[in-house]
Amino acid sequence: MKKIMHILFLSCLKATELIEKKLLIKLSFKEKIQLSVHKAMCDACTNYEKQSTLIDTAMKHKIEQDEAQVDVSSLIKSTLSKIEKSI
Amino acid sequence: MTQKKYNLTEWVNTYTADMFRWALYKVSDEELAKDLVQDTFVAATEKVKDFKGDSSPKTWLFSILNHKIIDVYRKNAKKPIAVEPKTFSDFFDENGDWFVNKRPQSWDVSDGHLLDNVEFNAVLKACLEALPEKWGACVKFKYYFNKNADEICQELEIAPTNLWQIMHRAKLNLRDCINKNWFQN
Repeated sequence: MKKIMHILFLSCLKATELIEKKLLIKLSFKEKIQLSVHKAMCDACTNYEKQSTLIDTAMKHKIEQDEAQVDVSSLIKSTLSKIEKSI
Repeated sequence: MTQKKYNLTEWVNTYTADMFRWALYKVSDEELAKDLVQDTFVAATEKVKDFKGDSSPKTWLFSILNHKIIDVYRKNAKKPIAVEPKTFSDFFDENGDWFVNKRPQSWDVSDGHLLDNVEFNAVLKACLEALPEKWGACVKFKYYFNKNADEICQELEIAPTNLWQIMHRAKLNLRDCINKNWFQN
Protein backbone atom coordinates (compact mmCIF):
# COMPACT_ATOMS: atom_id res chain seq x y z
CA MET A 1 0.00 0.00 0.00
CA LYS A 2 2.77 2.39 0.96
CA LYS A 3 4.61 1.66 -2.28
CA ILE A 4 1.54 2.44 -4.35
CA MET A 5 1.10 5.69 -2.43
CA HIS A 6 4.70 6.61 -3.15
CA ILE A 7 4.37 5.94 -6.85
CA LEU A 8 1.25 8.09 -7.04
CA PHE A 9 2.07 10.81 -4.53
CA LEU A 10 5.86 10.67 -4.10
CA SER A 11 8.05 9.73 -1.15
CA CYS A 12 9.26 12.55 1.13
CA LEU A 13 12.73 12.13 -0.38
CA LYS A 14 11.35 12.77 -3.87
CA ALA A 15 8.99 15.52 -2.66
CA THR A 16 11.82 17.51 -1.06
CA GLU A 17 13.84 17.09 -4.24
CA LEU A 18 10.98 18.59 -6.24
CA ILE A 19 10.73 21.47 -3.74
CA GLU A 20 14.38 22.29 -4.41
CA LYS A 21 13.83 21.93 -8.15
CA LYS A 22 10.89 24.31 -7.88
CA LEU A 23 13.06 26.91 -6.13
CA LEU A 24 15.79 26.60 -8.77
CA ILE A 25 13.75 26.21 -11.98
CA LYS A 26 10.15 25.31 -12.80
CA LEU A 27 8.29 22.06 -12.26
CA SER A 28 6.43 20.22 -14.99
CA PHE A 29 2.63 20.10 -14.76
CA LYS A 30 2.74 16.51 -13.54
CA GLU A 31 5.32 17.33 -10.89
CA LYS A 32 3.26 20.29 -9.67
CA ILE A 33 0.21 18.08 -9.15
CA GLN A 34 2.24 15.33 -7.46
CA LEU A 35 3.88 17.80 -5.11
CA SER A 36 0.69 19.57 -4.10
CA VAL A 37 -1.09 16.28 -3.40
CA HIS A 38 1.89 15.09 -1.38
CA LYS A 39 1.97 18.28 0.66
CA ALA A 40 -1.75 18.04 1.37
CA MET A 41 -1.02 14.77 3.16
CA CYS A 42 2.37 15.56 4.67
CA ASP A 43 3.00 18.25 7.31
CA ALA A 44 6.74 17.57 7.41
CA CYS A 45 7.27 18.36 3.72
CA THR A 46 4.94 21.38 3.96
CA ASN A 47 7.15 22.68 6.78
CA TYR A 48 10.23 21.83 4.74
CA GLU A 49 9.07 23.94 1.81
CA LYS A 50 8.27 26.94 4.01
CA GLN A 51 11.65 26.68 5.70
CA SER A 52 13.62 26.14 2.53
CA THR A 53 11.95 29.23 1.04
CA LEU A 54 12.74 31.18 4.21
CA ILE A 55 16.40 30.18 3.92
CA ASP A 56 16.43 31.46 0.31
CA THR A 57 14.95 34.78 1.40
CA ALA A 58 17.37 35.04 4.34
CA MET A 59 20.36 34.40 2.08
CA LYS A 60 19.33 37.11 -0.37
CA HIS A 61 18.63 39.52 2.49
CA LYS A 62 22.04 38.85 4.03
CA ILE A 63 23.77 39.55 0.72
CA GLU A 64 21.98 42.89 0.43
CA GLN A 65 22.99 43.79 3.99
CA ASP A 66 26.64 42.91 3.38
CA GLU A 67 26.60 45.07 0.28
CA ALA A 68 25.34 48.10 2.15
CA GLN A 69 28.29 48.32 4.53
CA VAL A 70 31.13 49.14 2.19
CA ASP A 71 33.90 51.72 2.56
CA VAL A 72 36.01 51.76 -0.57
CA SER A 73 38.21 54.86 -0.27
CA SER A 74 41.11 52.90 1.24
CA LEU A 75 40.73 50.22 -1.43
CA ILE A 76 40.95 52.88 -4.16
CA LYS A 77 44.12 54.24 -2.59
CA SER A 78 45.86 50.88 -2.30
CA THR A 79 44.76 49.85 -5.79
CA LEU A 80 46.20 53.02 -7.28
CA SER A 81 49.56 52.50 -5.58
CA LYS A 82 49.61 48.87 -6.75
CA ILE A 83 48.98 49.92 -10.35
CA GLU A 84 51.63 52.61 -10.03
CA LYS A 85 54.16 49.92 -9.19
CA SER A 86 53.14 47.59 -11.99
CA ILE A 87 53.47 50.26 -14.71
CA MET B 1 51.58 56.16 -21.86
CA THR B 2 50.53 59.16 -19.82
CA GLN B 3 47.11 58.97 -21.44
CA LYS B 4 46.69 55.29 -20.52
CA LYS B 5 47.78 55.85 -16.96
CA TYR B 6 45.36 58.74 -16.65
CA ASN B 7 42.49 56.59 -17.89
CA LEU B 8 43.19 53.82 -15.43
CA THR B 9 43.37 56.18 -12.48
CA GLU B 10 40.03 57.56 -13.49
CA TRP B 11 38.60 54.07 -13.86
CA VAL B 12 39.85 53.08 -10.41
CA ASN B 13 38.15 56.11 -8.91
CA THR B 14 34.94 55.59 -10.86
CA TYR B 15 34.43 51.84 -10.75
CA THR B 16 36.12 50.50 -7.58
CA ALA B 17 33.00 50.87 -5.42
CA ASP B 18 30.75 48.98 -7.86
CA MET B 19 33.34 46.31 -8.51
CA PHE B 20 34.05 45.73 -4.83
CA ARG B 21 30.36 45.50 -4.01
CA TRP B 22 29.93 43.04 -6.85
CA ALA B 23 32.91 40.92 -5.81
CA LEU B 24 31.79 40.90 -2.19
CA TYR B 25 28.35 39.83 -3.27
CA LYS B 26 29.92 36.91 -5.11
CA VAL B 27 32.57 35.64 -2.70
CA SER B 28 31.18 36.98 0.63
CA ASP B 29 34.72 37.49 1.92
CA GLU B 30 35.87 41.10 2.28
CA GLU B 31 39.62 40.48 1.98
CA LEU B 32 39.21 38.17 -0.99
CA ALA B 33 36.89 40.67 -2.68
CA LYS B 34 39.49 43.45 -2.25
CA ASP B 35 42.20 41.23 -3.71
CA LEU B 36 40.01 40.36 -6.68
CA VAL B 37 39.34 44.03 -7.44
CA GLN B 38 43.04 44.89 -7.20
CA ASP B 39 44.03 41.91 -9.36
CA THR B 40 41.47 43.04 -11.92
CA PHE B 41 43.00 46.51 -12.14
CA VAL B 42 46.53 45.11 -12.33
CA ALA B 43 45.43 42.82 -15.17
CA ALA B 44 43.67 45.77 -16.80
CA THR B 45 46.87 47.82 -16.61
CA GLU B 46 48.69 45.11 -18.51
CA LYS B 47 45.93 44.59 -21.06
CA VAL B 48 44.76 48.15 -21.56
CA LYS B 49 46.71 48.52 -24.81
CA ASP B 50 44.47 45.78 -26.26
CA PHE B 51 41.31 47.54 -25.12
CA LYS B 52 39.81 48.89 -28.31
CA GLY B 53 36.82 50.59 -26.80
CA ASP B 54 34.33 48.19 -28.43
CA SER B 55 32.58 47.94 -25.10
CA SER B 56 32.40 50.47 -22.27
CA PRO B 57 35.34 50.43 -19.83
CA LYS B 58 32.92 49.29 -17.15
CA THR B 59 31.80 46.23 -19.15
CA TRP B 60 35.40 45.42 -19.98
CA LEU B 61 36.56 45.66 -16.35
CA PHE B 62 33.62 43.60 -15.10
CA SER B 63 34.35 40.84 -17.61
CA ILE B 64 37.89 40.57 -16.23
CA LEU B 65 36.56 40.61 -12.66
CA ASN B 66 33.95 37.93 -13.41
CA HIS B 67 36.60 35.63 -14.80
CA LYS B 68 38.58 35.99 -11.60
CA ILE B 69 35.51 35.32 -9.45
CA ILE B 70 34.65 32.20 -11.44
CA ASP B 71 38.23 30.97 -10.99
CA VAL B 72 37.76 31.24 -7.23
CA TYR B 73 34.54 29.21 -7.37
CA ARG B 74 36.07 26.62 -9.64
CA LYS B 75 39.10 26.22 -7.40
CA ASN B 76 36.86 25.77 -4.34
CA ALA B 77 34.63 23.27 -6.15
CA LYS B 78 37.58 21.04 -6.94
CA LYS B 79 38.96 20.83 -3.41
CA PRO B 80 38.28 17.46 -1.78
CA ILE B 81 35.37 17.31 0.66
CA ALA B 82 36.75 17.99 4.11
CA VAL B 83 33.92 17.15 6.52
CA GLU B 84 31.60 14.18 6.44
CA PRO B 85 28.27 15.73 5.63
CA LYS B 86 24.89 14.14 6.15
CA THR B 87 23.52 12.21 3.18
CA PHE B 88 19.98 11.23 2.22
CA SER B 89 20.11 8.11 4.38
CA ASP B 90 20.62 10.32 7.46
CA PHE B 91 17.26 11.98 6.83
CA PHE B 92 15.11 9.35 5.08
CA ASP B 93 14.48 5.64 5.63
CA GLU B 94 14.68 3.04 2.86
CA ASN B 95 11.14 3.92 1.74
CA GLY B 96 12.08 7.58 1.36
CA ASP B 97 10.05 8.67 4.42
CA TRP B 98 11.46 11.11 6.97
CA PHE B 99 12.96 9.52 10.06
CA VAL B 100 10.66 10.49 12.93
CA ASN B 101 13.33 12.60 14.66
CA LYS B 102 14.23 14.33 11.37
CA ARG B 103 10.71 15.35 10.33
CA PRO B 104 10.70 19.15 9.93
CA GLN B 105 8.68 20.70 12.75
CA SER B 106 7.29 24.17 12.27
CA TRP B 107 9.62 27.07 13.04
CA ASP B 108 8.59 29.91 15.31
CA VAL B 109 9.15 32.99 13.16
CA SER B 110 6.61 35.16 14.97
CA ASP B 111 9.43 37.54 15.92
CA GLY B 112 9.09 39.18 12.49
CA HIS B 113 12.59 40.66 12.48
CA LEU B 114 14.39 37.39 12.03
CA LEU B 115 16.13 38.40 8.79
CA ASP B 116 17.62 41.51 10.42
CA ASN B 117 18.73 39.59 13.51
CA VAL B 118 22.55 39.74 13.64
CA GLU B 119 22.84 36.48 15.56
CA PHE B 120 20.55 34.65 13.15
CA ASN B 121 22.61 35.88 10.21
CA ALA B 122 25.76 34.68 11.95
CA VAL B 123 24.21 31.20 12.30
CA LEU B 124 23.20 31.31 8.63
CA LYS B 125 26.74 32.20 7.58
CA ALA B 126 28.33 29.53 9.79
CA CYS B 127 25.96 26.87 8.44
CA LEU B 128 26.73 27.87 4.85
CA GLU B 129 30.44 27.69 5.55
CA ALA B 130 30.07 24.28 7.19
CA LEU B 131 28.87 22.81 3.89
CA PRO B 132 31.43 20.86 1.86
CA GLU B 133 33.10 23.26 -0.57
CA LYS B 134 31.57 21.74 -3.67
CA TRP B 135 28.04 21.98 -2.27
CA GLY B 136 28.76 25.46 -0.97
CA ALA B 137 29.95 26.51 -4.43
CA CYS B 138 26.67 25.34 -5.97
CA VAL B 139 24.60 27.16 -3.36
CA LYS B 140 26.65 30.34 -3.71
CA PHE B 141 26.35 30.20 -7.47
CA LYS B 142 22.60 30.13 -7.07
CA TYR B 143 22.30 33.02 -4.61
CA TYR B 144 25.16 35.30 -5.57
CA PHE B 145 25.32 34.86 -9.32
CA ASN B 146 21.60 34.35 -9.92
CA LYS B 147 22.62 31.70 -12.42
CA ASN B 148 20.19 29.16 -13.79
CA ALA B 149 20.78 25.43 -13.51
CA ASP B 150 22.42 25.05 -16.93
CA GLU B 151 24.89 27.84 -16.21
CA ILE B 152 25.81 26.45 -12.79
CA CYS B 153 26.50 23.04 -14.34
CA GLN B 154 28.64 24.64 -17.01
CA GLU B 155 30.65 26.84 -14.66
CA LEU B 156 31.32 24.05 -12.17
CA GLU B 157 31.68 21.34 -14.81
CA ILE B 158 29.13 18.98 -13.26
CA ALA B 159 26.29 16.97 -14.78
CA PRO B 160 22.70 18.24 -14.29
CA THR B 161 21.72 15.12 -12.31
CA ASN B 162 24.66 15.81 -10.02
CA LEU B 163 23.46 19.37 -9.50
CA TRP B 164 20.05 18.23 -8.27
CA GLN B 165 21.55 15.84 -5.80
CA ILE B 166 24.10 18.39 -4.60
CA MET B 167 21.53 21.18 -4.20
CA HIS B 168 19.06 18.88 -2.48
CA ARG B 169 21.62 17.55 -0.02
CA ALA B 170 23.08 21.00 0.56
CA LYS B 171 19.66 22.41 1.42
CA LEU B 172 18.79 19.48 3.71
CA ASN B 173 22.03 20.05 5.59
CA LEU B 174 21.60 23.83 5.68
CA ARG B 175 18.07 23.48 7.05
CA ASP B 176 19.18 20.88 9.59
CA CYS B 177 22.06 23.10 10.75
CA ILE B 178 19.86 26.19 11.13
CA ASN B 179 17.22 24.13 12.92
CA LYS B 180 19.75 22.77 15.40
CA ASN B 181 21.66 25.99 16.02
CA TRP B 182 18.83 28.49 16.02
CA PHE B 183 15.30 27.16 16.33
CA GLN B 184 16.05 24.44 18.88
CA ASN B 185 18.32 26.67 20.92
